[in-house]
Amino acid sequence: MAVTDRALDTLGEPAERAERRWLTASRDFVRRRPLGALGALVIVIMSVVAALAGVIAPYDPLATDYGAMLGAPGAPHWLGTDAFGRDVLSRMIYGSRTALLVGLGASFFGATLGALLGVASAYFGGRVDLVMERFMDILLSFPLIILALAVVAVLGTGIVNVTLAIAIPMVPRCARVVRSTALAIREMPYVDAARAAGFGHGRIIMRHMLPNVMAPYLIMLTAFLGQAILLEASLSFLGLGVQEPTAAWGLMLRGAAVEFAETAPWMAFFPGLAISLAVFAFNLFGDSLRDALDPRLRTQ
Amino acid sequence: MTKYVVKRLLLMIPTLIGVAVLIFLLLRVVPGDVVEARYVGGSGQFSSKEVMAAERARLGLDRPLWTQFGTWMLGLLRGDLGISMWTGAPITEEIRLRFALSLQLAVMATVVATLLAIPLGIVAALKQDSWTDYAVRVFSIAGLAMPSFWLGILLILGLLIVFRWLPPMVYTPFWVDPWQNLAQLIWPALAVGYRYSAVATRMTRSAMLEVLREDYIRTAKAKGLWLKLILVRHALKNAMLPVLTVIGLEFAFLLGGLVVTEQVFNLNGLGLLFVEAIAHRDYTLTQALVLLVAFVFILVNFLTDVAYAWLDPRIRYR
Amino acid sequence: MRRVTMVLALLLVAALTAPAVAQDKPRYGGELVFPVPSEPPSYDGHREETFGLIHPIAPHYNTLLRVDPTDPTGTKPVGDLAESWTVSKDGLVYTFKLRRGVKFHDGSEMTSKDVKASYDKIIFPPQGVGSSRKGQYQSVEVVEAPDPQTVRFRLKWPEASFLLAVSSPWNFIYKADILAKDMHWYEKNIMGTGPFTFVEHVKGSHWVGKKNPNYWDKGKPYLDGYRALFIRNHAAQVAAIRGERAHIQFRSFTPADRDNLKQALGDKITVQESPWDCILMVAINHEKKPFDDKRVRRALTLALDRWGASQSLSKIAFVKEVAGVQVPGTPYATPPQELEKLAGYWKDVNKSRAEARKLLKEAGVPDGFSFVFKNRGTPMPYEPLAVWLIDQWRQIGLNVRQEVIEPAAYYTPLRNGDFDLAMDFQCGYIVEPDLDMYKFLSTDRNPANYGRYKDPVLDDLYLKQGRATDPEERKKYIRQFERRLLDEEVHYLMTLQWHRIIPHSAKVKGWQVTPSHYLNNQLDTVWLAQ
Repeated sequence: MAVTDRALDTLGEPAERAERRWLTASRDFVRRRPLGALGALVIVIMSVVAALAGVIAPYDPLATDYGAMLGAPGAPHWLGTDAFGRDVLSRMIYGSRTALLVGLGASFFGATLGALLGVASAYFGGRVDLVMERFMDILLSFPLIILALAVVAVLGTGIVNVTLAIAIPMVPRCARVVRSTALAIREMPYVDAARAAGFGHGRIIMRHMLPNVMAPYLIMLTAFLGQAILLEASLSFLGLGVQEPTAAWGLMLRGAAVEFAETAPWMAFFPGLAISLAVFAFNLFGDSLRDALDPRLRTQ
Repeated sequence: MTKYVVKRLLLMIPTLIGVAVLIFLLLRVVPGDVVEARYVGGSGQFSSKEVMAAERARLGLDRPLWTQFGTWMLGLLRGDLGISMWTGAPITEEIRLRFALSLQLAVMATVVATLLAIPLGIVAALKQDSWTDYAVRVFSIAGLAMPSFWLGILLILGLLIVFRWLPPMVYTPFWVDPWQNLAQLIWPALAVGYRYSAVATRMTRSAMLEVLREDYIRTAKAKGLWLKLILVRHALKNAMLPVLTVIGLEFAFLLGGLVVTEQVFNLNGLGLLFVEAIAHRDYTLTQALVLLVAFVFILVNFLTDVAYAWLDPRIRYR
Repeated sequence: MRRVTMVLALLLVAALTAPAVAQDKPRYGGELVFPVPSEPPSYDGHREETFGLIHPIAPHYNTLLRVDPTDPTGTKPVGDLAESWTVSKDGLVYTFKLRRGVKFHDGSEMTSKDVKASYDKIIFPPQGVGSSRKGQYQSVEVVEAPDPQTVRFRLKWPEASFLLAVSSPWNFIYKADILAKDMHWYEKNIMGTGPFTFVEHVKGSHWVGKKNPNYWDKGKPYLDGYRALFIRNHAAQVAAIRGERAHIQFRSFTPADRDNLKQALGDKITVQESPWDCILMVAINHEKKPFDDKRVRRALTLALDRWGASQSLSKIAFVKEVAGVQVPGTPYATPPQELEKLAGYWKDVNKSRAEARKLLKEAGVPDGFSFVFKNRGTPMPYEPLAVWLIDQWRQIGLNVRQEVIEPAAYYTPLRNGDFDLAMDFQCGYIVEPDLDMYKFLSTDRNPANYGRYKDPVLDDLYLKQGRATDPEERKKYIRQFERRLLDEEVHYLMTLQWHRIIPHSAKVKGWQVTPSHYLNNQLDTVWLAQ
């Protein structure tokens, strides 16, 4: 039985039975899709590290030490120091916080708004749908990075603005995908029945349509997470993202890291590795999630 | 069928106009303008307000917004992209060389991506859930996960340190000197192509999986190997459609979206032109570039929509 | 007979040993290739401000005077198109004798009317014509061309810096006939008298110049031509030099680049370094509390360990020297014992910081006081300096947040006074107190002073030093100006002087580094060894 059916069944079931179903579903997931489980594990580790950054990090990520500039990895700086003598390991740990904040924030905001707009567009149909589709097409015609650049140019840099700049290009992409699923659901009999029974638009959208677009929504969300982290790194690399002296992986890859790439490679290597791992994990997980939730890909 | 084509064609127009309006307004909202970008800073302390005001008047920046928009639109209808505010040269001249490079890079990257994605996707689908499948998925996702500039820096450093060789620094068009041309563009094509193959690989794999589940395939499988081979080819044909859609869409974005790659490989392409145009607040150039890329994207969209409708008649009647 | 043999033998020996000496003699031929980080928006030197114009275009032109290309301080005016000059006793009339036989690249003769037309365009531009440095020539009343070989400038008041003002690398001498027909012609075209003629400009790609066979300075230039490659990406520029695809980059590389190049190419690289006439300084908004209080501003400068930073930051950025208002090593630079007396320049950093904390407390600024520091979005050296500044202010209990703004939008908030502290910068094209100190005049006299203060004493000192014709008297006023600016009133905070690092191919000879990346770019003295 697919994970989908189980997941959907839990809507409206007594709590403990629902919990048990989620547990069995998860166990199935791990056994059936080890790669996805691996991705999930990495994500969990990353989240824990980000949450406990204050406890785990050996140094203050902002503390400079001009006597220990460009130090090689080894005690007491296990991953070396950067051009200002700041501890790379501590900056990596705090950087996970920035990555998750920006990544989660941007993809959550972008995917949610996109899903809502996609559902509304599908549900109301007609002229609303036409206009909405045009608008989404317009936004989609801008290359991701150009849109992000423009948003940053208007709003300025900084963590909040960057999150928004990354979220905005994601809205039309999610809206498009969710809309096609929502269109299929709208044709279903129980929606008509609900209308006939006199339920309001809002209630129908909330109770019937949104829960059923969970699958594509979650898939887009996890796909975005990886992309958001990469976009943040690209924007920081271009100097338009999070700013110094904040610890952020993308930021750690620019400037001195590139210049000293031969003499002090650890400065560029570790943040690059961290970004790759994070995006990797999110993609693996998202990939497997899609496989699990898509009923057509069930292995009999 | 013709009605569908005409309908899609007509829908392109409001989208394009929407893009034009959006970029026009967006640029004017952003603080700073081309006169500031040129005159302030460095020895700018000697620049007076009159000089700057005179420049603004010369560029038409002091006229009301709708006049500026109207002038631009009218020019477009005549086929005139306008003049760059930063250099004063016609925009077609500014874009020409860079467009050739970006186009060539996009084509080469797409070829690389296709050559990687299709065989890998098929293999992964045929051997689903085996170690081969996992290996292919890990390989393709790695391409997506690595920051492109990181990969680029590693590539160039590698070439320099290991082979003591640098790709050519200046762009030579293919018909002038094919070897120089390829020597410069093969590296970014590989880096970008690898990256984009990830999405296409996944698409190929899932499309193949879907088709392989079909009853007629399974019956053929039960009947014997030889038939299976023929039917796999059948499966391939049906699976290719969504794959080609994805490839087509990615291609459209390769034109203007390779900002970071162009920086790292020092390519004189559209992405870099974009960044500079925005940095200089060169309204006319930015607008023209955005419209160009949007046009290509919308065109590709249109063509794939038509292709889909031609192959699947159900879509036409929506 | 024997004597003849001896002479012949001596000649033979001389001939055999000649090659060893010939290495110091300029060799003719070769194409100089150099990357340029930014491209000129238009071709008119009177109008633009970017070195991206000077590097590829200066070789096509001459100026009236130029800065001596062999002088490492970059402060000595010598004749370019002018053969000689005289100054009247009252310092108000400068008369220049022009060289004969100078031809434009189209064959026409250069005379004084061309110089007059060019300077009229710079100093008295007609409506609609942009002249970026017009404000620098306010002392000029009129430019006269009494005969074809003479140009005369009449000044309204004596100016010590005038000769350097007409040595400006931006003041290309254009053809009067062309200017009479179209004042904007030179924005898109090249027609000069310089050592190289224009071949081609491919946008976004490169610029090519070829040797001018009829150059007035017989025997020059040595090069057959030059090729400027527009390479924006810094790593790519370094790679070009490293891969021996380019010879030299005329702006500057970073310490890391220099070390990498030296390590990779060893003897094939020559490194020339010099203090640079560029400096980043912190502009303080005098209209915002608590920065209107002199004590707070003084505390801000006392917190900075400049001497320590000179050691550490010079490893990762192209900054180095600790300086006052003039580039160290130049005629009006601050003597070391005077420098150490200025606030923020004391050798004892702990004492300095203790004093800073005391002042903050006196002024009523609480510990942990927070403000925003606006910085320009250009990586080198803005970023490392900002990190350093924020860190230093942390040491006296100030909590500073950085806000980075893209270059095109940077000066709007500064001009509107919408900031607390902001990074300001100054890059001079010639080391000259009139040019370097102009920035700090009162806001009503100089709108490019973003500090929003009025200091008539400072203005007066500037005037006095500008009109002082005796160097010692001038030095006295400059020192007073400096003390008031940096120590008594602390209107601005100087960070570190930039440091120019030019690692170039050892084949490049005849080029001397100076404190300005706008100077010494005519390439007439440059030659390539084997």
